Amino acid sequence: MKSIIRYSFLSLGIFFLFFLTACKKDFLNITPTDRLTNEAIISDSSLFENYVVNRYLGVQLQNKEAEGTPPGFGRGFEYALWSTLTDESIYNNDDQTWLIQRGQLAPENLGIAGTIWGRSYRSIRECNYALKNIGQVNMSQSHKNCLTAELKFIRAFRYVDLIRNYGGVILMSDTVYELNDNFTNPSLFKRSTIAQCMDYVGQQLDEAATGLPLNNGTNWELGRVTKGAALALKSRILLYAASPLYTNGVNDKAKWQEAANAAKDVMNLGQYSLYPDYSQLFLSYSGNSEIIFARYYAIGARHVCLEVANGPNGYDGWGGTTPLQNMVDAYEMNNGKAIEDPASGYDPQSPYISRDPRFYATILFNGAQYRGRAVEIFTPGGKDSKDGSGNWNTSKTGYYLRKFMDDNNPIQNPWNITGLQPWIYMRYAEILLNYAEAQNEVSGPDASVYSAINMIRQRAGMPVLPSGLSQDQIRVRIWNERRVELAFEEHRFYDVRRWKIASETENISAYGMDIVKNGTGNLQYTRKIAIDGRHFEEKNYWLPIPRTEIQSSGGLLQQNSGY
Amino acid sequence: MKNYFYFHRSFIFYKRTQIFRVMKIGLMLLLVSMGSIYASAYSQKREITLNATNISLKDVIKQIEKQSDYTFFYNEDYIDLSQVVSFSANKKDIAVVLSSLCSLAKLNCKFMENNLVVITSETQQKLPKVSGKVTDQNGQQIVGVTVSVKGSQKAVLTDANGKFSMELADKKATLVFSFIGFVTQEYKLTEENTVNIVLVPSIKSLDEVVVVGYGTQKKVTLTGSISETKGKEIIQSHQPNISNSLAGRFSGMIINNRSGEPGNDDATILVRGLATTGNTDVLVVVDGVPGQLGGLARLDPNDIESVTVLKDASAAVYGSRGANGVFLVTTKRGEIGKPTVSYNFNQGFSSPTRRPHMADAATYATILNEIEYYNNPAGGMNQHYSADEIQKFRNGSDPLNYPNTNWIDETLKKVTLLDQHNISVSGGTDNLKYFTSLGTISQDGLYKNGATNYKQYNFRSNIDANVTDRFKIGLYISGREEDRQHPHYQYYENSPDLFREVYRAFPTNPARYPNGLPFSGIEQGRNPIMLVTDAGGLNKSANLIFNGIVKASYLIPQIDGLSIDGFYSVDKSQLFDKSFKKPYTVYTYDKTNDVYNPMTVGESKASLSESQENDLMITSNIKLNYQKHFGNHDLSAFIAFEQSTKKQEGIGATRTNFPTMLTPELSEGGTAPNDKDNSGSSYEFTRKSYFGRISYDYKEKYMAEIQLRYDGSSIFPEGKQYGYFPAISAGWRISEEEWFKNDVQFVNSLKFRVSYGELGNDNVTANQFLNNYSFNNKYVIGGSIYPGIDLIKLANPDITWEVAKKTDIGFDARLFDNFSVQAIYFKQTRSNILIAKNASIPNISGIVNPYNSESLLPSENIGKVNNGGYEITIGYQQHAGSLSYGISGNMTYAKSKVIFMDEAPNTLDYQSQTGKPLNSYLLYNVIGIFRTQADLDKYPHVVGAQLGDLILGDYNKDGKINVDDKVRSKYGNIPEVTYGFTLSAAWKNIDFSALFSGQARVSQYVLSESGTDGNFFSGWADNRWSPSNTNGTYPRVDTQASSSNNGGLYLNNFWLNNASFLRLKNIELGYTIPNHLVSKIGIKTIRVYMNAYNVFTITKVKDYDPEGSNEQGQFYPQQRIINLGLNVKF
Repeated sequence: MKSIIRYSFLSLGIFFLFFLTACKKDFLNITPTDRLTNEAIISDSSLFENYVVNRYLGVQLQNKEAEGTPPGFGRGFEYALWSTLTDESIYNNDDQTWLIQRGQLAPENLGIAGTIWGRSYRSIRECNYALKNIGQVNMSQSHKNCLTAELKFIRAFRYVDLIRNYGGVILMSDTVYELNDNFTNPSLFKRSTIAQCMDYVGQQLDEAATGLPLNNGTNWELGRVTKGAALALKSRILLYAASPLYTNGVNDKAKWQEAANAAKDVMNLGQYSLYPDYSQLFLSYSGNSEIIFARYYAIGARHVCLEVANGPNGYDGWGGTTPLQNMVDAYEMNNGKAIEDPASGYDPQSPYISRDPRFYATILFNGAQYRGRAVEIFTPGGKDSKDGSGNWNTSKTGYYLRKFMDDNNPIQNPWNITGLQPWIYMRYAEILLNYAEAQNEVSGPDASVYSAINMIRQRAGMPVLPSGLSQDQIRVRIWNERRVELAFEEHRFYDVRRWKIASETENISAYGMDIVKNGTGNLQYTRKIAIDGRHFEEKNYWLPIPRTEIQSSGGLLQQNSGY
Repeated sequence: MKNYFYFHRSFIFYKRTQIFRVMKIGLMLLLVSMGSIYASAYSQKREITLNATNISLKDVIKQIEKQSDYTFFYNEDYIDLSQVVSFSANKKDIAVVLSSLCSLAKLNCKFMENNLVVITSETQQKLPKVSGKVTDQNGQQIVGVTVSVKGSQKAVLTDANGKFSMELADKKATLVFSFIGFVTQEYKLTEENTVNIVLVPSIKSLDEVVVVGYGTQKKVTLTGSISETKGKEIIQSHQPNISNSLAGRFSGMIINNRSGEPGNDDATILVRGLATTGNTDVLVVVDGVPGQLGGLARLDPNDIESVTVLKDASAAVYGSRGANGVFLVTTKRGEIGKPTVSYNFNQGFSSPTRRPHMADAATYATILNEIEYYNNPAGGMNQHYSADEIQKFRNGSDPLNYPNTNWIDETLKKVTLLDQHNISVSGGTDNLKYFTSLGTISQDGLYKNGATNYKQYNFRSNIDANVTDRFKIGLYISGREEDRQHPHYQYYENSPDLFREVYRAFPTNPARYPNGLPFSGIEQGRNPIMLVTDAGGLNKSANLIFNGIVKASYLIPQIDGLSIDGFYSVDKSQLFDKSFKKPYTVYTYDKTNDVYNPMTVGESKASLSESQENDLMITSNIKLNYQKHFGNHDLSAFIAFEQSTKKQEGIGATRTNFPTMLTPELSEGGTAPNDKDNSGSSYEFTRKSYFGRISYDYKEKYMAEIQLRYDGSSIFPEGKQYGYFPAISAGWRISEEEWFKNDVQFVNSLKFRVSYGELGNDNVTANQFLNNYSFNNKYVIGGSIYPGIDLIKLANPDITWEVAKKTDIGFDARLFDNFSVQAIYFKQTRSNILIAKNASIPNISGIVNPYNSESLLPSENIGKVNNGGYEITIGYQQHAGSLSYGISGNMTYAKSKVIFMDEAPNTLDYQSQTGKPLNSYLLYNVIGIFRTQADLDKYPHVVGAQLGDLILGDYNKDGKINVDDKVRSKYGNIPEVTYGFTLSAAWKNIDFSALFSGQARVSQYVLSESGTDGNFFSGWADNRWSPSNTNGTYPRVDTQASSSNNGGLYLNNFWLNNASFLRLKNIELGYTIPNHLVSKIGIKTIRVYMNAYNVFTITKVKDYDPEGSNEQGQFYPQQRIINLGLNVKF
């Protein structure tokens, strides 16, 4: 009997243990420690600001995007630069770019050009969320004004990304969509006209410019936008808005005038000037007065390690974004004459002699000095040709990219050290070019047009433009100046479209250069086709909206025509 | 427990004195029958005191039983226990008492094993005698076999040596040998005096019990769809991962081994196919603990008693976690008897099931020429290599400049080793039973000089103690260390697979130059022969798992049949990872200057990262049981409460720029601020459940069962945390009906059963009912990284359970004694499937999911999928003399149908998933290859199509090829049909078994990473279309297959394989050395065997193993293992 009692107690004791653990209150309510809630973001002003600042970042939406860090606006320093979709370059290893060069772009086959839509709208919602709630955040009104202006800039830039790729898009105003909203309402999918979009963005940028500080400083650190950035972006979109693609070919002087004024507004700020050395401009990590707005990087938040990604195979590089002959041909001789000009002195068998200094700063060509030796693209035997090591990375065009490359960076094992060059969204040279282009359309080549364009040429070490050019003549020069000055900076793609010359420029084959060293050591230069099938159709003036988006709208969203 | 005890019409009458004692005997008989126990008859001398005057012999025996552990077997038909005796004994040895008592009563007392005493009449000895021995197929004696005379009540049991002897009235009688778990055998005497019988295990004995959720049930009265396999069957697949040993052994299971890498070769397991777009993880319950840390795959097969799978509503007792099926693993327990030591050794020789063939250098060089030709037709066919150079690749005349490297040969060994040891000691007494074991596994990777290996050390100690008759306690402790080692590279880049590098590597490059220096590889020094070694450093991970369970049960004295039990379990795992990365040197040959330029791979200085992840799971369970027989009624019921908490905490630290490679320790790294980094995370989730079951049967003829679980989970918001999961099932053993017994004699047994239940699935990310924000520090302002915050999950405040409603109808039958048949029709509907609305929410909403990381959209309870099919299992067992053999086969057909999943409105009918099976592919249909300009003119084609391209079918006949021409494939990569069959045979001391498994109606898309970025499988390379081979059966090659017209740009079914296969999964031949040869040296048995795993595969898939699921064909190949093994018991 004793033992029964004893064991009953023992068993009761054990079962009591279970009950003890069982009766904890709120057992199923767990507060996570690795994430924050709405309340935390809004009630803590510094967390709120942490949220706002990250809006400069976008979301990664496909493979081979966002190497190192999330994308910002546009495509920035990715493996295949946006340039590889133009007559500037091709991406050596394809990586979903050739289909665009070859006119195979379709709503279901977007290559690298499919992410701007989703990324932009996601950011717009995030900005709207912050704008909607900033009133509840406990911070000084002046700082709130700055953050509001900053958010409006970011949102406007997202719209610029949308408009320049898709034309008239859907304007969200301040709506913050939630999960259970009804997405079958046709009005949600109504695309505004380009003009409406431009108006909206222009107005938002005006508001941003009003609220933003003029300078970066300790309270508004470098990397956050300033008044100048808002005005510069406005200058860009007004220039676009005046261009033939956006006006349906109507030459509207008033629009050009607005564009010229917008550029002038930036110039009048007196904040910006051209950096003296074109080749170092892109490597100056701070204190560069030409930069109006750029994205900066740091160890731990880098972009693609450019030197390995684009370097010649003989240097163990991967020969990524490789310039086309089409681009090379755009560089004038250093006497200021185009190579087609018989008086230019251009020798097709010594093609790299006496060219625009920006050529040498932008393109690695056969014989260029790079990292202690001459680049050898010739065959047979050239180290950076198919006869060199790693020849699967040999350029198909006969050129490698020089611009942006920092010779202090190692090519081998760069992962935790390099990828830090700033990606310049807007710089003063663009503003001068914007001004020159717009003002020329308004008034023809007046002194201010010459002055703007010549500032750029002189900084580059090129002779000034000859005086007495006609409006048409100088337009061609301005276009080419823009092409050369802003090469690989994500302008060409949009410029050839807004000028409506893409059906011409983008239907020219992708040319490269074949360089053969003959028995006597002489080099023989022959143009060749780098990749077959380059092709552009009228519909390609705008990108197709992703098919998934048309589908999820239930067909209510109007696809761009031709797709 | 009582169910163990089941005698055929034997002469033995067992007294219903104390049911408990009978249980004990029953258990003993069962254990003895398994041939794994050896007990000493006189181990417990007991003294007894008796003082009987004129009382019946029956009462004397009762008194002796009361005072001792002895149990008496007798048959009152033969002996007269009513005779009155007078007898006294004072503290006398029971043997002495009994022998004097028996001689007094003129009876024969025979002491058997384990305190059994058989009382027979002396007078019977005068009749003619027949004797013999009963053994199983392995020659093991079987104790306790009932040997009865057909047509009479007479019977005896076999003794400890499996021997019997009995007197017979008729020398031509027919003897019937019956024993639990074996096929009853008849033997007609022809006047001989000695009969030796080999009993064959029955396919499915009516008497077996099977482990079910929270208990055991008798198979005969089972109403759910439950499959079982025994540990000894699992052991037959000698390879270290149990999840792979299960393939083909169960009906209803789809078990695919997607990679053969040591330590990372867990199979994917689906019960009855794919039924959800959500999580499909099967719940693994080990010794009663749901979701025990450590899981199933790495358990030591030698420790496993049985694995059962709950495939239908029977899993509803696991409520919210039962929807994908439940595996119940029971580990071995000690058995009463002297300690048994068992040692198993297995030496395996492992090689890939398939070694792909890749294009050789000359072929690849030609392909490069073709690629350049397609990109610039004007340049001709030799833009890259001249014919002369290709010839050099072919003839090997210049190995320095024109090598021809077979990278698979360079990196992979033909055979690698694998060994397993296990030693166990088990035994016990009535009150204490123990099973302890220790095992090791050592497995090497396939790589030459490779760094990959896997080592495992595991122990288990299962102790059961009967503290009193009513109070039992069990302590089950097990632990395991899993040590994995890989070359550092594997965890370095996005693609974790070394095989990617092996298959991509160009045959036109050397592995090493003729002078022995390693070549620099495809890019950044990625030379596969170096990558597979420890040259670039090692990644070592050590996963320590501890599982401790204390179980107790108590029979409540006041109410008969009422008991309480429970367990408390603590699972702990610690994953420690240490990864040291160091630079090494490779070379590129500079032909012009004839020098070898060194190149450093990896950062110039070494770096180290270490991390630790600690998991703790505590589960407690308490359960009140009631079990009662009332005449023909049998009732059992329980109610229970269970809760569990799981916590995970992780920490990591890295250090770079080590001054030396000699000190791979965190504190010895670089000193700059940027040289140090660290990280940490934690999460917790909890569950709380109330559940119960009532089972009832009438005469084991009509059965019914109800289960209910009320589950709570911290995954869901307050108010949505709890769900009900009920199940009901019923069965009818028609063969127990008198009319059936009389009329349908060829049917030994036949049972119909049906079940229905609702089960849940909560396996989604926690906290989805809140907007989740998290730090993402990637934006740089003021020169340094700013702490940025992103929204990573949008709130779904309504999130709750995924529900599976499962219906099963089936029958189990045994025919003609030797055949068994089971057939089940099953169907389930899944609703509230937790998926994100990725397709129907437009991006303009701003709710846009990122690529390759957690979806911004929360899971919503929106999906609906139906799944149904059938499974059939057939078995046949036969014997002829000392040869016995059996065959059994199973086949499962399971097909899913999407009823609702989030698809964009207006999705084309033939492209939508809705109404079609899950996991199908959306692909262009290839109707041929453009071979002539006429073809190109005739068929609509995509921009840029050229000769040698695949002709894509114009499905909608609109004259152009666009996305509307894609069609859904008929099958996905989950097979609709899986099947398996086993053959087994035994002859004297030789045993043989074979297991085949296969799958059908399954497709897998594989397009290799080929072009200028990688080599080609020979299937494509040798059969490619080219201007000089316009009859090629594969399309022309392209710069990159992934963005080619013929590949990634227009995903098409040319690259969709029929991944059906039939595989000889396992074959084993064993020999047991005869007892008399080894018993002298104190050994009970020695068995040696040869075994092979994944022996051959019949499939249409070329180039790689059809079981892989990698869409580039880049995976560690599945393993073929030849084993030699030894099993010693003493």
